[in-house]
Amino acid sequence: MALPAGAQGDVILVRGGTIHPATGAPIANGSVLIRAGKIAAVGTNVTAPSGARIIDATGKTVIPGLIDNHSHIGAKSTDLNDSPMLIGPQHRFLDALDWNDTDFQDAVEGGVTTIVTGPGSGENVSGMAVVIKTFGTDYTKRMLLEKGGMKFAMGPKGRTRYPATAMGVAANLRQYLIKTQEYMAAQKKWEDDGKKGNPPARDLGYEAMADVLTHKTYVRAHVHAATDVMTLLRLKDEFGFDLTLHHSTEAYKVAPEIAKRGVTAVVLPLGDRIGLSDDAMAGPYQLWKAGVKIAMHTDAPVISQKWLRLCAALAMRYGIPEEEALKMVTSNAAEIARVSDHVGTLAEGKDADLVIFNGPWYEPKSRIDFVIGDGQVIYDRAKEGK
Amino acid sequence: MRELSSRAKRGIAIVLVEGTVASFRTAAAALFLLSASLPAQERAVAIRGGTVLPISGPAIPNGTVVIRGGKVVAVGANVQVPAGAEIVDASGKYVMPGVVDAASYIGISDNDLNEPTDPMTPQNRVWEAYNPFGTFGSGQAAPLRNKEALSGGVTTQYIAPADAQLLGGQGAVLKTAGATLDALLVREPAAIDIALGTPPKTPARAANRDPFTRMAEAAMLRGLFVKAQEYQRNKSSNATLPRDLGMEALGKLLRKEIPARIQANNATDIRTALRLAQEFNFDVIIDGGAGAWDLKDELAAKKVAVVLGQVSHQYVSNEEIPDKQDYPKPDERLAGRLTNAGIPTAIATFSRAFSTLAPAGTGKWLLIDAALAAGYGMTDDQVLRAVTLIPAQILGIADRVGSLEAGKDADVIVLDGPPLSVKTWVQRVYVNGELVYTK
Repeated sequence: MALPAGAQGDVILVRGGTIHPATGAPIANGSVLIRAGKIAAVGTNVTAPSGARIIDATGKTVIPGLIDNHSHIGAKSTDLNDSPMLIGPQHRFLDALDWNDTDFQDAVEGGVTTIVTGPGSGENVSGMAVVIKTFGTDYTKRMLLEKGGMKFAMGPKGRTRYPATAMGVAANLRQYLIKTQEYMAAQKKWEDDGKKGNPPARDLGYEAMADVLTHKTYVRAHVHAATDVMTLLRLKDEFGFDLTLHHSTEAYKVAPEIAKRGVTAVVLPLGDRIGLSDDAMAGPYQLWKAGVKIAMHTDAPVISQKWLRLCAALAMRYGIPEEEALKMVTSNAAEIARVSDHVGTLAEGKDADLVIFNGPWYEPKSRIDFVIGDGQVIYDRAKEGK
Repeated sequence: MRELSSRAKRGIAIVLVEGTVASFRTAAAALFLLSASLPAQERAVAIRGGTVLPISGPAIPNGTVVIRGGKVVAVGANVQVPAGAEIVDASGKYVMPGVVDAASYIGISDNDLNEPTDPMTPQNRVWEAYNPFGTFGSGQAAPLRNKEALSGGVTTQYIAPADAQLLGGQGAVLKTAGATLDALLVREPAAIDIALGTPPKTPARAANRDPFTRMAEAAMLRGLFVKAQEYQRNKSSNATLPRDLGMEALGKLLRKEIPARIQANNATDIRTALRLAQEFNFDVIIDGGAGAWDLKDELAAKKVAVVLGQVSHQYVSNEEIPDKQDYPKPDERLAGRLTNAGIPTAIATFSRAFSTLAPAGTGKWLLIDAALAAGYGMTDDQVLRAVTLIPAQILGIADRVGSLEAGKDADVIVLDGPPLSVKTWVQRVYVNGELVYTK
């Protein structure tokens, strides 16, 4: 029986490819059934209901829609940092976001369907990131997580004001976190005392940082030097917040300290744009070997989001196995971004975001033939003429 | 003979360095190295059993490359291996000419990339800022090895002043390994290096001096070329006129002894570059060239070559987020489209320091980055040509490098897989017949 006309586009069977679900082993000659924007079935014995659109993926590679865990696209470069503030947790990237930025098209062309995008590193605390889909016109549907992580950035921001040293940055952050605790305590006391009289004066900064201390969100910390990684780990030990390291250039030097605390790391774009020594290039491998959960990022627009897969491929070149490298830009990236209920793997019930390549996903000369987002074809190479 | 004497000089250098530790034993060991290495120079090396990609011709499965005395002696499937030759087993591997990077700033410190006091300094030679000796106070004595480039198979590169000036000076072509600084040199001056668009305007505006606009950029260059024409004319009729080094350098350009390398990315800037070249009758090569497709007919008709930046990052200027007014939206098809339109097109790194982390986009990545173009309308062979023979031709040194042919420099690389796979590593690099890098 044919489906009702309106539902024709809602059922797609991607048939006959090598499926890399990013959860479990690859499935040769497998299929993915998509219904109403979700993945309905994955496996070797999946058949299409009549009327479903069939996409033949024979000889092709099928992977989950890619996830870039750290980028700055969708806002003007002059809107990324409110540098005079220095500690500005009340800033929300959402307030600067242009959902129609043309950079989102680059993401889609590169198979990137979900991103974390947020403020820059010009302050020690620069505000709240968001986790969004890269496609679609319904902005409410594109928003996956509004409290998408509080951006910290280690290192002094200039030499002409306090704090101008690593010591000062640590002390200043510690002081702010203590004030947040005091703010929370005052609020709690007022509540415990039966909310008598006026409530304590609100402070948007402490309120936002309280979300960090109560685990409603977590710290995304820009950090390069190993010594700054240790400062962050000390602060975590003292204040108990959840932490992800970002860029993590020298994190490999203290990998056991990171692993034993269950802290995750989003590692540098290994794209050829950012030069690193071979020791640092092998850093993600060292972290992975030590048991640290890692994801890859582009830092777009520094590296175009189109090349996220190449960044992961270069990590593979330095020793990370193929399926683990894929996780860095799919399931791990989703877990670290706290959106793994929806995206990051090809599993029943997940959002139907997937990418079909004409060869191995990691080879430079492979091309993306199709990108499917929320069950719709959002990129079709044949139609793009590219 | 020159090879021999430079080798001997290097041997002496080793002895002197070791001599400073005043140990008879190490000095004796160095002498042994010297004597052991002398006959090796004339000993042939046969790289055998690999898939040979000569670039100048089709792939040779199970081929042999013989090198001796710094040159390629023979390339083929049925090559006579000279008696006593060192045999290098390359079975299962790929053998190809060293990669030629047609644009790089590696080896020049940030402060030496441009003269900030003057927008046009034709007298400046980048060669005199080139530093392969390591950071100040550390690093080894010769031989010189640019490992960052060698690890990507790059054996020859063009270096130049950067784009913070309209006319930065004279570029040079050099090898990435050699016994001494002078031994690296292939061609100098190799070009007059010019930049159009936003990069030269940015420091000028900050200093409240010209050029503020693209109009001023063109007018200032035009004025300089007029002055250079007059200088050549006056000098030829009156040899006693005082010498001017900048005018002498521009004379080489105006006599077509060397070309101009003009960084121009959007169509406006490329048009200006072509207009200046026509007006003053010099050879021009377009650097960056992101908007070159708009002018494909003119570029093809005039046989003007284009040196593109990285496929994955086509912005060749150094800002973290470049001025997008300078560039059309990046299009990965560009290298293939230009190539297929008959325009000589090279893919280069334009590598330089990005922030303080490390040199970025270096030769280490050139093959992997160029491989992206193979997904966008280029054959594997075309991609490999765009990083070997085509840049060699553009640099005017194709008689020496860019392909594996008898008589050319023995710049040979051995890879453990197909050169355009992300999994492949460069395993051995020979420069001028000498093994200078192994992985």
